[in-house]
Amino acid sequence: MAFFIIARAAFGYLFLVLIVRIVGRRPGKQLTPFEFVLIFYLGGLTLTGMVGEEVSLTNAITQIITVALCHYLLSFLRFKSERMARILDGVPLVLMEKNSWRHETLVRMRIQDDDVMHTARQQGIKDLSGIKTAVLESYGEITIIPKKEK
Amino acid sequence: MDTIIRAIVGYFVLLVVVRVLKRRAGSQLTPFEFVLIFLIGGIIILSTVDSDRSVTNCTCAVITVGLLHRVLSWGKARSPKLGAFLDGAPLVVIKNGEWQHEVVDRMMIRPEDVRASARAQGISSLEKVKYAVLERNGGISIIPKES
Amino acid sequence: MAQPFRMPVVDSVPKVADEVAVGEDLKFQRKWWMFERVIWSFFVLVLLCDLLGVFGRGWLAKAKRSTPDQALTLDYERVERSGSPSVMTLRFGPAAAHNGHIQVFVGNEVIRGLGARRISPEPATSALTDGGITYTFDSGSTPTIAEIALQPMFPGKHKIRIQVPGSEPIETSVLVLP
Repeated sequence: MAFFIIARAAFGYLFLVLIVRIVGRRPGKQLTPFEFVLIFYLGGLTLTGMVGEEVSLTNAITQIITVALCHYLLSFLRFKSERMARILDGVPLVLMEKNSWRHETLVRMRIQDDDVMHTARQQGIKDLSGIKTAVLESYGEITIIPKKEK
Repeated sequence: MDTIIRAIVGYFVLLVVVRVLKRRAGSQLTPFEFVLIFLIGGIIILSTVDSDRSVTNCTCAVITVGLLHRVLSWGKARSPKLGAFLDGAPLVVIKNGEWQHEVVDRMMIRPEDVRASARAQGISSLEKVKYAVLERNGGISIIPKES
Repeated sequence: MAQPFRMPVVDSVPKVADEVAVGEDLKFQRKWWMFERVIWSFFVLVLLCDLLGVFGRGWLAKAKRSTPDQALTLDYERVERSGSPSVMTLRFGPAAAHNGHIQVFVGNEVIRGLGARRISPEPATSALTDGGITYTFDSGSTPTIAEIALQPMFPGKHKIRIQVPGSEPIETSVLVLP
């Protein structure tokens, strides 16, 4: 019976990893209210399914340890294997290089050139010509390599 | 009464877990980290409150947690050792352009993570990095080579 | 120590724009995009199944079994969910009443496997029989309906058996999802 408690916790965590990965990366660093809704809702629903009626402290600790172990296991796999790292994190994608946009990437990741410019402006770059390369990182942030480098 | 005990135990369990998990390499506090924290917190919440969802019970739990936080914060300010224990210390990942292998293996940091942090600072490749430091919050700070 | 503690930093990743090292992999990303489409379709499918009752609590899950002499008709759900309450209905026909009493044998799998909580109306007596419990109701006039409140605790497949003595048993299986 304890097995089911652990199994629910493991399944909940892994499914969450999948969902967050699939729902996609949004550009920009700030967590807008839009993201918070998603975070709280997803987190809350997952935990309700995990816990059910069994709210004892023992169960809670068991499930938390299970989640922690799963997290650690995934971190380890990510570290050891490039393939797992690509699957779990995703890869960085070039948005713009040599003054030309990568249209396919922009469309598929639903990014507007305005998002890129917004990030560039935050780094003090005035317009597109000041950007050498723009990269969409695996965790959603856009990083800009300016033409003049430090 | 036992709600207070559960609140205390739950608080420390959370502290330990978050501390152990927090430095997933290059964890830039993506939405996933928030979900995870919320998830773990929520599990503890449910176990702390148990079947008594009254205002009285929950308020007691809230006060307990608030007090604990206050006490620990005061402790952290007073004792650097406690601060290091609770928050961790920064670790050098790249020193003078060279990987610190032991740190990299222990903290499971991938070159890509450092590369991403470098890009975030406008540095185009790892060869230009003089120092890389894994901060307490999981981010990586880059100090480039002067050219 | 066998290996030197430090190693020089060398970029091993294809460079973009001849200078910026990005670990980009468009082949993988394209495969991933396809994978995402598959997964989303799968999710929609799952939701549809849920709506239809494949996972319990829906149209496809409801089932009905009767004995040939109509003494007992059972309304139940083929698929249940653990921890969630539900109701199983037993309808008794005229053939079930003997001497002003209706007796029904409910197998252990229903009691323990499906987590029977209550049976209403309250039976006049209940007796532990081999493999289950036999309830006796006073029957005023037929037809009568008894309801068993269920709350399964563990997932699994349960073969259940309910029988009015003198008639054939109703045997079927219920799947409990986690």
